[in-house]
Amino acid sequence: MGLDRLMPSAAALALVVAGCGGGGGGGRPSRLLDGRAAAQFEPVGGSVIASGRVLDLDGGADGCLAAPDRANVASDAKMVERIGVDGESLTFASRDGSMVYACDGGIDPAGERHLPWCHAVVGELDGERVLDPRLDVICRDRRRRPVAYAFVDPVAGARWIGVRKDGYVEIYEVLAGLPVRVATVRGIDLENDTAAFEVTQYDAVGRELVHGELEAAVAG
Amino acid sequence: MRAFVAMLAAGFALSGVTGAQAYHRFWANCNTDPPTFMTTMTRDAAQDYANAARYEGYQWGGGCWNYDEVDSYPDDPPQQPGTHGEGGDCSGLTFKTWRESTDTWRDGRYYWRALRNVHGPYDAAAFRDGNGAPNHVVAKATAGVMDAFASGTHIGMVFMRSLYGGDQIVEAKCEACGTNIFYRTYRGDSAYGGVGRWGWTG
Repeated sequence: MGLDRLMPSAAALALVVAGCGGGGGGGRPSRLLDGRAAAQFEPVGGSVIASGRVLDLDGGADGCLAAPDRANVASDAKMVERIGVDGESLTFASRDGSMVYACDGGIDPAGERHLPWCHAVVGELDGERVLDPRLDVICRDRRRRPVAYAFVDPVAGARWIGVRKDGYVEIYEVLAGLPVRVATVRGIDLENDTAAFEVTQYDAVGRELVHGELEAAVAG
Repeated sequence: MRAFVAMLAAGFALSGVTGAQAYHRFWANCNTDPPTFMTTMTRDAAQDYANAARYEGYQWGGGCWNYDEVDSYPDDPPQQPGTHGEGGDCSGLTFKTWRESTDTWRDGRYYWRALRNVHGPYDAAAFRDGNGAPNHVVAKATAGVMDAFASGTHIGMVFMRSLYGGDQIVEAKCEACGTNIFYRTYRGDSAYGGVGRWGWTG
């Protein structure tokens, strides 16, 4: 059900929420989305390590993946589960290794998807490299802010991916030979369905390999 | 110098969009005008809108074209929004044809002019799954004119039903094939689901 006719009251509510909200800006957060204490990546001051682990898929993506996609993914496939400060995701490859899927966490503003997943994306793989970042700007966080998700292709030798946030850097570990699904609430342009991620890639001991901006647009 | 070149190459790799990021070609003609809020939206008007986009090309991540019947920048490298060529991609064409909002919770009707460069927040998989207030999943058997068939990677709208198993589909298919009407068998393809737009007024 759409909400266009409720716009004025929704806008008023948003103002009230914004007025009562507070917090959220600057500084290193002490906890991840699931409440766990946030560890720091020693080589990068003021950083937060997003939780990342490799699990068996084992039906874990059933709540977000459509039936045709589920048929393309082996039930015993490895998936990477990530929980960060702004978002959470699952990443896994298709049975033949030609596609990569991600389940993106958050609130569906249209109210038609249920937590924890608000969207699923699929990207075409060229080896271990995804051809397009598969930007997703549909999801909202618990404070109803837009959350942008995108894939980052690790460069050779990269073990950690850093994404600049307001006042800290969120660090994602490269796992399972898959592109790394990162999330941010910063640099999102909903009017043009684009987002910019300031990304730094590090080797295993935290030496900076490359730094730049990932400009992503919703596509396909 | 070698270090500079290496870092430049690594930077492009990092961006995921390669050197084509620097292109500013057809999009220089495009605008950011707001859409016009409409109270009506008919299927035959949607047919006209999509039909007029034929021959105007295809651009990954794009949503801007004119009406000169020519793709101004054909054969760009695939899957690179940074090439900034003419045309929509599959989901961008559907978004504009279906008069949708960039806010997924709005189900009103928003008319976007051809040269308004907008793609919308939905990729093909989001349409297939019925994401967003204006969209919903429909049974493929009953999908009619200007409903659509979507997979995880592509969406095309039914321009006309066929008696022979397939449909005439209007779609932005690829750089090489552009935007056009093609005979397709998405209706019988298990990778595709049916999807529709709420709110047709005729």
